[in-house]
Amino acid sequence: MSRKLLQNLCILLFSIFFVCSGGFAVAKTPPPDTLMLAIKGEPSEGYDPILGWGRYGNPLFQSTLLKRDEQVQIVPALATTYKLSDDGLCWTVSIRKDAKFSDGIPLTAEDVAFTFNTAKNSGGKVDLNHMDYAETTGKYTVKIHLVERDTTFIHRFTTLGIVPRHAYGEGYGRNPIGSGPYKLVEWTEGQQMIAEVNPYYYGKAPFFKRIVFLFTNEDTSFAAAKAGKVHMVVVPQSLANQHIPNMVMRAVKSVDNRGLMFPTVPDTGKKTAEGYPIGNTVTADPAIRKAVNIALNRKALVEGVLEGYGRPAYGVCDGLPWDNPANVIQDNDIKGAIKLLEEGGWHDTDNDGIREKDGLKAEFTIVYPATRSIRQYLALACADMLKKIGIKANIEGKNSFNDIKKIKHRDVIVFGWGSHDPIELYHLYSSKYAGVGYNNPGFYKNPVVDANLEKALTASSFEESLRYWKAAQWDGKTGLNARGDAPWAWLVNLDHTYFVHKNLNIGTSQVEPHGHGWPITANIEKWTWQ
Amino acid sequence: MDMVGQSPPTLKSGHGNKRSPEIKQIIMESSSITHFFIHKTLRLGLTLALVSMLAFTLVSLSPIDPVTAYIGMDRMQISPEQESKIIARWGLDKAPLERFFIWCKNVAQGDLGVSMIFNEPVTEVISKRFLTSLNLMALAWFVSGILGFILGVLAGMRHNSLLDRGIRLYAYIMASTPSFWMGMVLLSIFSVSLGWTPICGAYPPGTIDTDATLWQRFHHLLLPAATLSLVGVAQIALHTREKMIDAMNSDYALFAASQGESRTGIAIHHALRNVALPAITLQFASLGELFGGSILAEQVFSYPGLGKATVEAGIRGDVPLLLGITLFSAVFVFCGNAIADLLYSTFDPRIKQNCEEQHLC
Repeated sequence: MSRKLLQNLCILLFSIFFVCSGGFAVAKTPPPDTLMLAIKGEPSEGYDPILGWGRYGNPLFQSTLLKRDEQVQIVPALATTYKLSDDGLCWTVSIRKDAKFSDGIPLTAEDVAFTFNTAKNSGGKVDLNHMDYAETTGKYTVKIHLVERDTTFIHRFTTLGIVPRHAYGEGYGRNPIGSGPYKLVEWTEGQQMIAEVNPYYYGKAPFFKRIVFLFTNEDTSFAAAKAGKVHMVVVPQSLANQHIPNMVMRAVKSVDNRGLMFPTVPDTGKKTAEGYPIGNTVTADPAIRKAVNIALNRKALVEGVLEGYGRPAYGVCDGLPWDNPANVIQDNDIKGAIKLLEEGGWHDTDNDGIREKDGLKAEFTIVYPATRSIRQYLALACADMLKKIGIKANIEGKNSFNDIKKIKHRDVIVFGWGSHDPIELYHLYSSKYAGVGYNNPGFYKNPVVDANLEKALTASSFEESLRYWKAAQWDGKTGLNARGDAPWAWLVNLDHTYFVHKNLNIGTSQVEPHGHGWPITANIEKWTWQ
Repeated sequence: MDMVGQSPPTLKSGHGNKRSPEIKQIIMESSSITHFFIHKTLRLGLTLALVSMLAFTLVSLSPIDPVTAYIGMDRMQISPEQESKIIARWGLDKAPLERFFIWCKNVAQGDLGVSMIFNEPVTEVISKRFLTSLNLMALAWFVSGILGFILGVLAGMRHNSLLDRGIRLYAYIMASTPSFWMGMVLLSIFSVSLGWTPICGAYPPGTIDTDATLWQRFHHLLLPAATLSLVGVAQIALHTREKMIDAMNSDYALFAASQGESRTGIAIHHALRNVALPAITLQFASLGELFGGSILAEQVFSYPGLGKATVEAGIRGDVPLLLGITLFSAVFVFCGNAIADLLYSTFDPRIKQNCEEQHLC
């Protein structure tokens, strides 16, 4: 501490004397085996998987039992075999015997059990509430007992990095030790993190021996890339058309989606326990919701709002293993939409361009968070498109999610979700979660969908659950997609845009979850230099 | 400030007394210094109590929900049960008043609590970052103070000359320039276009803290400090100029001029001391502004100081950290003002005299 203080004093004196002198040294160009990345993702809490580090992209310092490959399929990592018991309540996982932590101490089943048991009660972003406890049944086997059947529990195996029992404690997040491909050299909070290859890593040694992650803000990162100081930079879609010397634009598909959430119950004056109004009589009519879904021109939204860096969205999980291809509909169909509305009893009787039914105008408010420009533009563009079918959508920006919270059961909201965990479907559409926090804010309820969601959650295996997730979306007769009840109108999936050095080969990237930046690291061990 | 003024700086002679003047002075000095410190400490205590109450009230009224900010886009993977675990970990399940009293009790024992977003003791969060910010603020403070004073004196000396107009124009422009904008302009000129200065950080990217040389650190400090200084110069220059004009038109300046003293001579020998005092007051009082300015400059240059942490704490509703930083900055500003009070007596013996008479120190 005193040394640091002395150093600071020196700098101070030095600075005062030389403040006006000219002539600056130019920063050295890094050797090719040091990779400089400006892709955000600094975890302010530290690199602690117990609190949620490693949910996206690569945990870097730790390794997980399983992981998702480039096609988002589950493949083994630390685990060699993994099996769910017939009653669906107990996972038996065997782990590899050659894994060591970066301090050279072998990783055993003890560490795995410790990680799961500690994370259960940590109060971080790792939700293990469906787990009862974890126990070791051998040096390299662990049994994880569940409280209830939950096929999505396997997602925890792909995201929860294993921490060493002998080295975990207060301050672990700032001094992480794990069995991942890299180990931490230094982390200057708010500035950069330096990682070096972990010599004890059980997998193939990564090509890049040393990686520097810059945690600068958007403008600064972009400036650094323009000055040729970084090998990769994440940029917002609006900057993707720029040109940076020696760098190429890489647009990665994602399920980082945006969509319109409709209240599906009529306004009967009911309120939640907090006093927030429930229901919207206009959007409660499926004809309105379906007409909106087929009237919107999603391709135009991608071109106009995202500068082409995105793809139309038809569901919350487009392209993931549990996505139902039947979600895709023919949109930009004004005639079809008008026909639906006419059949539903919505006619423009007073010739003001807005349809009515029983004296009720086809009018609702689309609300977006005022600080999110993409959502704002989407809301504006949608309102414009809906005019053509005689629906009046008013636009309203709210300053905070706290304001949105109060009206999210009454108005149409531009929300954005998208993750690698199908539990999202359950939370968004199950009537069990209607009105609980931000889950299912529209009070959507369909007994068939509920039953399919329940079956998916309690299926005998993850593979088995996929068909129920798909059936919940559309089973040929009903479902939660636009052909079915259309409780949402999904609009676009963003492309995550990165400028990558022309010599840097980052292989095939997965369809990324939300979180534009760090998820690109998912396959970082495979990156090479050409 | 109003003690400085138009009359020539003559020392009032001491009042009649029985003891020898030296002994009296020693007694007076020691007792008045103790008095000064007791007085200041009491004031500081009161200030901190009021500041923490006010800050806590404001934070409690803020619409930002720290749990929502923390969960963010992960909302759909977090069950309501998990959310209540997070709330319990941060102690947010207790009533605001109860939380405030618990916090007060802990602060009284020297424990500022644990930052919610950094999951680290608040004292550690602050001390780590403040050392980095200190370099920036100190450099900016010295440069803006000295430069501003010089410019002000020069402008005031040659009232309405071309130099004066130039300095005034500069000061007016700078006074109305937001520091973050200035930072972005400098960044795009010197770092991006010319490549003379680094773009971000406190030392070169990829270098380990202990390996960074003094020169590298200074090089990285240059642009943020220049941003703060260029903008900070304005206020002190304008104030000093005003006082300088007054001093140059005073009776004692006229008297000196009639004795053949040159304009520069009057400025250096007679006016400078009188002008220095308000400048010092202003410069020390501006510590608060400097604190605020550094927050913006640090954002632009991704300089990992206290400013960035403050913004994070505010945006994500980290109450313990926000209160910790508020208290810390209150102490910081208070110390600045106390130092200014102490320095007055060195620069202007009349104030000390006055204090001693009224026991006001």
